[in-house]
Amino acid sequence: MLKTILRRILQLIPILFIVVTFIFIITRMVPGDPAAVMLGPQASVESVQELREELGLNKSVGEQYVNYLKGIMHGDFGKSYYYNEPVIKLILERFPNTLLLSIASIIIAILIGIPVGIISATKQYSIFDYMSMVLALVGVSMPIFWLGLMMVLVFSVNLAWLPSIGMGSLENGLWDVISHLILPSFCLATIPAATFARITRSSMLEIVKQDYIKALRAKGLKEKAVTWKHALKNALPPIITVLGLQMSGLLSGAILTETIFSWPGMGKLIVDAIGNRDYALIQSAVLFIAIIYVFINLLVDITYLYINPKVSYETGNGGE
Amino acid sequence: MRKEFKWVSFVLVLVLVLSMLTGCGSKADNNQTSSGSTAANEASQDSKEGGKLTIALSANPKTVDPVKYTGVYEGNIISNVADTMVRYKQDLSEITPNIASEWTVSEDGKVYTFKLRDDIYFQKGKFQDGRQMKAEDVKYSLERSAKESAMKRLSMLDKVEIVNDFEVKCYLKEAAASFLTVLTDAGNAIVPKEEVEGWGDSFGFNLVGTGPFRIVDWKKDDCVVLEKNDKYWGEKPYLDGVTFKFITDKNMMTNALRTGEIDIATDLTGESVKLVKEDSKLVLKEVPGLQVSYFYMNMLEGPTKDKRVREAIIRAIDIDQMIKGIYQYDEAKRAYLPLPPGSWGYDASLESLVPTYDPEKAKELLKEAGYPDGFKTQIYVADKPARVKMATILQQYLKQNLNIDLEIKTADWGTFSDIASKGKAPFYGMSWSWYPDPYFFLNQMFHTSQIGSLGNGQGFNVPEVDKLLDEALKESDQSKRAELYKQALKFIVQEHARVDYSNEKVVCGLTQRVQGFELRADSQIVITSPDVNVWLKK
Repeated sequence: MLKTILRRILQLIPILFIVVTFIFIITRMVPGDPAAVMLGPQASVESVQELREELGLNKSVGEQYVNYLKGIMHGDFGKSYYYNEPVIKLILERFPNTLLLSIASIIIAILIGIPVGIISATKQYSIFDYMSMVLALVGVSMPIFWLGLMMVLVFSVNLAWLPSIGMGSLENGLWDVISHLILPSFCLATIPAATFARITRSSMLEIVKQDYIKALRAKGLKEKAVTWKHALKNALPPIITVLGLQMSGLLSGAILTETIFSWPGMGKLIVDAIGNRDYALIQSAVLFIAIIYVFINLLVDITYLYINPKVSYETGNGGE
Repeated sequence: MRKEFKWVSFVLVLVLVLSMLTGCGSKADNNQTSSGSTAANEASQDSKEGGKLTIALSANPKTVDPVKYTGVYEGNIISNVADTMVRYKQDLSEITPNIASEWTVSEDGKVYTFKLRDDIYFQKGKFQDGRQMKAEDVKYSLERSAKESAMKRLSMLDKVEIVNDFEVKCYLKEAAASFLTVLTDAGNAIVPKEEVEGWGDSFGFNLVGTGPFRIVDWKKDDCVVLEKNDKYWGEKPYLDGVTFKFITDKNMMTNALRTGEIDIATDLTGESVKLVKEDSKLVLKEVPGLQVSYFYMNMLEGPTKDKRVREAIIRAIDIDQMIKGIYQYDEAKRAYLPLPPGSWGYDASLESLVPTYDPEKAKELLKEAGYPDGFKTQIYVADKPARVKMATILQQYLKQNLNIDLEIKTADWGTFSDIASKGKAPFYGMSWSWYPDPYFFLNQMFHTSQIGSLGNGQGFNVPEVDKLLDEALKESDQSKRAELYKQALKFIVQEHARVDYSNEKVVCGLTQRVQGFELRADSQIVITSPDVNVWLKK
């Protein structure tokens, strides 16, 4: 397993180099001058020109790219034009907030999505199955910004149960923190929960038709044990894959949710950085997300090994 | 599975605790007071002292270092923490003393002598213990602004000379009547050298000044928390503290106001205005803003280079109807000139020079200019509802009256400003807001030196206007300046350079517990000054 991990980490290097180059080119292709955006509409021509020089934007794109690569080699990811602070500091300040929101959402999504999927599969074509699958379809198709606003209108404005914005603080007690987390995390959990329910259902349906499940039933094993212990374990690999993808997506910043609920996380940071043409910050934030994706994929692969020891990456195929 | 779940739960709790330790809290006392007031509250109802106010800002500040700030929302934080030499009265009618108790101007308008108050102390910071503010701080702060300000706010300043501890002389490179106005800007606030140098780049988050409040916490992307400065030299604030909360989504800002999580929602527009108006627990405040919304027509290239085409376009639009379509909740008044009526340079007699709605005449003019069948063109606007609505209505008028096909190009601010400032946009719509001094409107938007900036991206180039604007800047007598600006405005209007269609109001929503809050036409939020002192009803 150690060999697999090491090989994957080595594979990371060319991937990240491509990401760095790609994002550098794309940010330069988007029209817009960071200096003009920073100074706002009332800036004079002279001020914009001076700031461009100060930020090194008057250098050729090639020169900027070489300097950027040199910086990365030395662990210097540059300074944000907009915040005038090292980009790494900015990212690390926001990441725990996004991590908190993502983990809370993924737990909610698992707790709702997987049981619903299992019950739907075991009671295929029942009312519950139809209802839950319709709801899941609505869930995956729901525009998050609309759902977020509706949740706020109902639970914050009309019922006054929960706060609508910000993160809360432990200074005001644990409930303050949890109450601020509930709406954004449920909002963010909608799509993953619906996806889990659909994937779990289809994966379970395939498994419960297998002969060994019939054998287990014939052996007189209780239905509960058949479903939850034997069938679910074998239905897990596709669910884990989706879980990995969803988690990577959430960690890279739940852009809409964070904007709606004024949650100070990665999503908001990236959106602002793009709006401000903050090249250094965009580049590093995207690089950070790429690293997260690669690591979560690695984690998913390791989890496969744990769930089903027959899976082997050494041969390049599932080792049946 | 159970083991994994325990592990996940542990991680969640750990992350939750870590990230919350640094969290910026919403106030414990932010509930609406219209219902459920306690006996204890009733007992102290007469007192104005105490309480914390939460104000939502519609953008995320990047720095509050005076010389580096660029947005109004950043200026709002600075002006509550640091003081300027002089300040505008709340109604912006005149400039009054602040740190400077009095001043004189030399005859040639190049030397300003300021006497400073001797009872002003800096807030206690990491690098000084709350020492007295003296002439050397004024010299340091103003010269720093002149040299380092990204916005070149004090570009007219040559040097500051210390006469004694409480008197300074400011020497200008050449006479600039806008100097006092510029000194009211938060960008020219007086700050202590030790803190600026001690903090370095981080001074932008650790501003120390002499104002009524001091910064105690800054949670990026979330809020800035200010606390009352007990040593403030002016009238003491009633409030114990103020939190500026950053909520970029307008709908969410209104919702937060309705839930009582914030006390003041700023920059309300569109549907939000209606929601606040209809909510009996909230108060809507509005004043005519120092703002003009307009669209430019390119004077450097394309059909609009021809003055007749520009006039035809102006005559093809019924601006009164256009305003009704854009601002359904009465958030703006109709504009005529490229200067807001709140400016002392505004002259209503010039309004009659603006061509009126006359589709027949418009058609004739366009035919005369050689475009009897219209033409195809584009308008660039930033992706904001009011701008897009304007462009859509304009598109209809131009098609209907002149057979001009106008393509609407919406873009985010970065792209928009790039295209518009470089003169690449045939039409572009935006708005302008600044001080009541016409210099901050006319020089920035019609002087040839500004071609290439967003102010004059249309390429307005009339030598007579340049001359009048330069002359007005050198003149120190306000009535003479007003006359010069009037003449310049006349030229500008007769060039049919652009269509000024609205003066948007400054609109805020308040919870009922906020008392004594007054809006300013320039959108500045003043909590404590000789004119206002906000307090909270208990």
